[in-house]
Parts: sequence; C-alpha cells; structure tokens
Amino acid sequence: MQLIAKLGILADAAKYDASCASSGAPKRSSRGRDGLGATDGMGICHSYTPDGRCVSLLKVLLTNFCLYDCQYCVNRRSSNVPRARFSPEEVVRLTLDFYRRNCISGLFLSSGIIRSADYTMEQLIRVASLLREEHGFRGYIHLKTIPDADPLLIEEAGRLADRLSVNIELPTDASLERLAPEKRASTIRQAMSVIHHGQQAVAGEPRAPRFTPAGQSTQVIVGADATDDSALLRNAESLYQGYGLRRVYYSAFSPIPDSPSSVPLAAPPLLREHRLYQADFLLRGYGYKAGELLGETGNLALDIDPKLAWALANREVFPLDVNRAEPALLARIPGIGLRSVQRLVALRRERRIRYDDLIQLRCVLDKARPFIVTSDYRPAQAELRSGLLRARLREPQAPVQMGLWG
Amino acid sequence: MIALDCGDDFATWRDQARQLLGHGIDPATVTWGQARMDDLLAVPTPLPAGTGPFRARVPAALLAQLEQAGRYRGEQRWNLLYEVLWRVAHGDRTAMLAGDRLGSEMQRRIRQVGREAHHLHAFVRFVPLPEALAEQLQLDLVAYHEPAHDILDSACGHFADRLGRQRWLIATPLDGVRFDGQHLDYRRQCPEQWRQWARNAEDPDAELWLAYYRHAFNPARLNPGALRQHLPGRFLRHLPEGPLIPELVGQARHGKQRDGQALEVGRQRGKRIASGSHSTNPNELNL
Repeated sequence: MQLIAKLGILADAAKYDASCASSGAPKRSSRGRDGLGATDGMGICHSYTPDGRCVSLLKVLLTNFCLYDCQYCVNRRSSNVPRARFSPEEVVRLTLDFYRRNCISGLFLSSGIIRSADYTMEQLIRVASLLREEHGFRGYIHLKTIPDADPLLIEEAGRLADRLSVNIELPTDASLERLAPEKRASTIRQAMSVIHHGQQAVAGEPRAPRFTPAGQSTQVIVGADATDDSALLRNAESLYQGYGLRRVYYSAFSPIPDSPSSVPLAAPPLLREHRLYQADFLLRGYGYKAGELLGETGNLALDIDPKLAWALANREVFPLDVNRAEPALLARIPGIGLRSVQRLVALRRERRIRYDDLIQLRCVLDKARPFIVTSDYRPAQAELRSGLLRARLREPQAPVQMGLWG
Repeated sequence: MIALDCGDDFATWRDQARQLLGHGIDPATVTWGQARMDDLLAVPTPLPAGTGPFRARVPAALLAQLEQAGRYRGEQRWNLLYEVLWRVAHGDRTAMLAGDRLGSEMQRRIRQVGREAHHLHAFVRFVPLPEALAEQLQLDLVAYHEPAHDILDSACGHFADRLGRQRWLIATPLDGVRFDGQHLDYRRQCPEQWRQWARNAEDPDAELWLAYYRHAFNPARLNPGALRQHLPGRFLRHLPEGPLIPELVGQARHGKQRDGQALEVGRQRGKRIASGSHSTNPNELNL
C-alpha cells in the first residue's frame, strides 16, 4: 500500500482523539546544530480544519489493526474499516517532512493494540527514539500510553516524549465493563501513577533527565454512556489532584460508521462538551471546586456558562467592589477573565477604577453589570431575582427540529 | 506644526522623539507621515537643534512597549507613541496601561503585533527545493508570506531555532530574510529574486499534507465559523490547504455529517478482525 493511502486511513482513524496541544514543553533549540526542531513552551496551531479544531501535531495511529472491541471506537476489531500499518520509518519520514514545511510542531502517535500491550508500546517507543536519537528531532512528541504495558516501557516512553496520555475513555467501571470489555479502570489508573511517579522523581532536580516535561493528559468520551457532568467533573478533579494531570480532554461522542447498537446513534450536543471545557478551566485556573459548580444538579446548564451559573446561585457574594475585592474574588465576576483581573489590579494601584475602564478593558459588561460596584457605578439590578437575571442573560439556543419519529 | 518622517524605523523615531521631548514640544504640534506632505495643514517648522533642556525619565519597560507597538502598521503609527511617551514622561503612567483610552490603544497594537508574529510562526509554509536547485542556490526551503505588520525582522529567529542547519528564506511584499545555516540576513527591501524563488517553487510532494488535512477533519463536527475565527481569510490564499476548505465544508453539508469518517476511507473495503485472534500476526495481514 502506498504511503499516502496509509496516511489517509491512519489519520482518519486518529481524529477522534481531541488532544492536539503542543504547549508546555521545555525550551529546546536546534540553532546552529545538527538535527531539527525547537520548543519554547508555547503551542502553535499551524492550521484549522473546518470543524474548527486546531492542527498542531501530526496525529496518526501507527496501525488501526486492533484486538480490542471498544464499542465507541471506529477501530474496534468488529468494525468494518479499511486497515493499514505504518512502519516506524514511515512515521519518522512524514513527521520530518511536515515539520520542515512548518505544517506541524511535532507528532502525536497512538496505536491500536497489536499482538500485546508490551509489543504495541515498544513500537511507539521505537518511533520516538528514531526521531530523537537518529534524527536529532527536538520538536514536540506526544505518545499514547497503553495501560497494560510494562511500567519499564512506560518509563522509557516518558524519557523520550514531552507528553504521555492514558485515556480514561469512560468514567465509571460499569461503563468500561459494558462498552470496553478489554479495558480495566484499575490498570488505567496504574499507568497514570507510573507516569506521575516518574515526574515526581525528577521534580526539583534540574540535572535529572527530563520526564514528560509537558505533563500527562487523558480523554473522556462524553455521551457514549449515561454518565452525567457531575460525575465527569468530580472524576476530573480527582485526576488533577491525584495524578497531577495537566489536562482532561472531553470528546463528545462522535457517531462512527457501522455503529454497534450499544452506543447512541446521534452525537450529544457539542455545547455540552463546550460547557464541560469551560467548567474544567474554572477548576484548573480559577480555583473553583467541582462541587461548587454542580450543587444538586447532575448536569451543567446549557443556556448559561458555568461561571455565570455559579454567580447567579451565590448572589450573597455580589455585588463586588472592583476597587477593593481580592483578585481571587474578582476572577469570580462573570465577564471578567484572569487577564482583566491582572490589569484591574495594576490599574487600581495608580487610581480608582471607573465603569468606563471596564469598557476599555473589553470586559463582557452585559454579564458583569449586575455583579459589580465601581467608583461611579452601582448596579440597579442588584435586587433583581436570579431567575429574572438568568432569563435576561441566557444565550439563545438553536431551535431544535422536531424528530420525524417522535 | 513639525512634520517628520522616520522611514518607519523605530531607532530613527526614538532619536526624533527624544529631541522633541527635550525641547518640551507638545504632541499636538508634531506629525509623522510617510511623505512629508501627508498632512495638508502642516506648515513645516524645523525640529529644534540640540537635546533641549528637559530631562525625561521613563520606566525601562515603556521603551520596549513602544518598540513593539511601533511595528503596527496603521493610522497615527508614530504620533500615538509620542503622545504616550509625552504623558508618561510628564508623570502620567496610566497612559501606558490598558485601562486608559490611549494606553488601551497602544496595548491593543502590542497585542496585534504579537498576534501577527504568532501568525508568522503558524502559517508560513516552506517548500523544499529539489536537491540540484538547493545546491545551486545554497537554499533548502523557501516561503512567501504576507504579514499585516512589520514583524518579520523581530520574529524570524524562531525559524533558525526550529530548522537547525537548514538554509531557508522568507519573502514578503516589503521585506525578506535569508538564513544560511549560521546567520540571518534581513533586508528591509526584499530582493526581487528572492520573491521569485519563493513564489514559483514547484512542490511535487505537496499531496501528502493535503491528504492528511482532508482526513484529520471530522465532518460530523462541522463548524466553519470557528475556523474563520482562528484562521484569518487573508492567510488562506497562501496555505496549500486553503482551496480544500470549501470542498470539505460542502461535502459535510451534503450528507457527510452523519459520522466522522472521510469520504475516501468509507469507499474502501473494510476488514473485520476475528475475535480471539491474539496470535494473529499483523505483519501477515494483507494490507
């Protein structure tokens, strides 16, 4: 089979993994040296596909031949898809060619399970070591980790790659058992802890060889089973705390050709995925707890963003005086992001903040207005009930066409 | 009115501004233009000689910010900077902060310039020259790019970090830069020959990237609005994947939206794998 035909099949097979980040790697440069590639911590999106997703890495499977039968996966063994397999040298050639053209910043390599978990992991490592050691490649490498692989292999991968990821896929044991019978939640978590220990062993030792400097990540599929947002976010929170994960990716279940009856035929709304990302960002960047964002309810509201939802549910905190409130509280005002908080703090050292300043800072005042006090402004709506405010601030929802079959 | 021309060069502007500030010349009475006759109302008054009596002290960070904002191509390009400098030098530091009307415009320009440098790093596409030609021109990779601001000089070092000893050049409608594996050769006027090489390079291996792009797209998640938001239309003309986009969007709208698979893959014969085939050697599969 021609290289270009393999590339088509194995790129198509890899697109369901949402992660494409190339950020967080340490500073490396090839200036004046043999070899190729640099990283500086900033990710670069070299292109965007018409689904609005960023193309930062060459994201392919080594092979889509797979012994597992995960129901949500297009590459499961019972799926009727064309199959292909790259040689490690072919992946190296493609990576270097695309990199030289400035189409990508690195490689994200995953694979179906062939022969055994260990064999598969060895193949992935082979590609990374060819790139790093034979071709002096200093660009970004993200390797998928096979959960059941030998911990020694995972450690070897961690020394070559900038990032490793082990996909959780489904957040509950019951769902895994039903939809991914060959996978075990316990081995997935074991692999995560091998990576986490590897990171801790070199933390604070600048001379030690690097170990996954861009951290580890995982992906959860949203909407392939009945798990609600509350369970997803609490799960994410425990992963951030327990394994020092850098990112949890949420991938709305994408219908696959020739779909088995165990998974839904239709995709969940992409808006749900979007709300999960917003909530996840609040966990990582703003210091919210999952329990705060989802009190009694099981799912995040679709019509308003989670930060606004929290503010509406906690009116006693507001209105906040922008000239006085702690930065951490300022960041909880809807419509005011972390960058605006920094700027407000810098500005209020010089003088009192007025309403007009918030316009200059391009804060989203439609959202912020009921929740703030400035030196020349008090909200008239401060007494307005949350229900009314919500009705005023909700985002218009796309009309849903009635189903033909009810 | 004092009419000045700095040739869009920051160092020249800085010397002029220092002199103006020293003589306490108000921003309202100075104008910078490309050509001196830009401002019809300006009756040229000469720039006073010498450094002038006023000794201005400004924060070191301001100079770096002015330099960055000076790369922005737009209205009042140099006047705005002098006004900021004037106010800060006279004790009003808010003029450089985003909360102030003037400061916010300068900060916006700094952001746009940073963004445009990022666009350079993201959307430049090099074409590898065939071996014989590479040997003849002493050049491995060529690219043509149209930046909206003057960022090539300050942002092109990124490619020397990335490409090691590879020899490359980037040509633009105004300036250009060439790297010989050791040194950067930046030209404010891009030699016409560089531009010709970059615009006319043949690329027989372009198909691999296009195949990748086509298959990485998930038609079930079609969202052309997000694409437009992140990838400004003016870059599409020079990206090899640009022409593919309308075609892919069209296919997705006409029925390809049911699942994520690319059309070309769906047309091929599939292969189910027998269960319990742990002994199967994938090398023996008829691929």
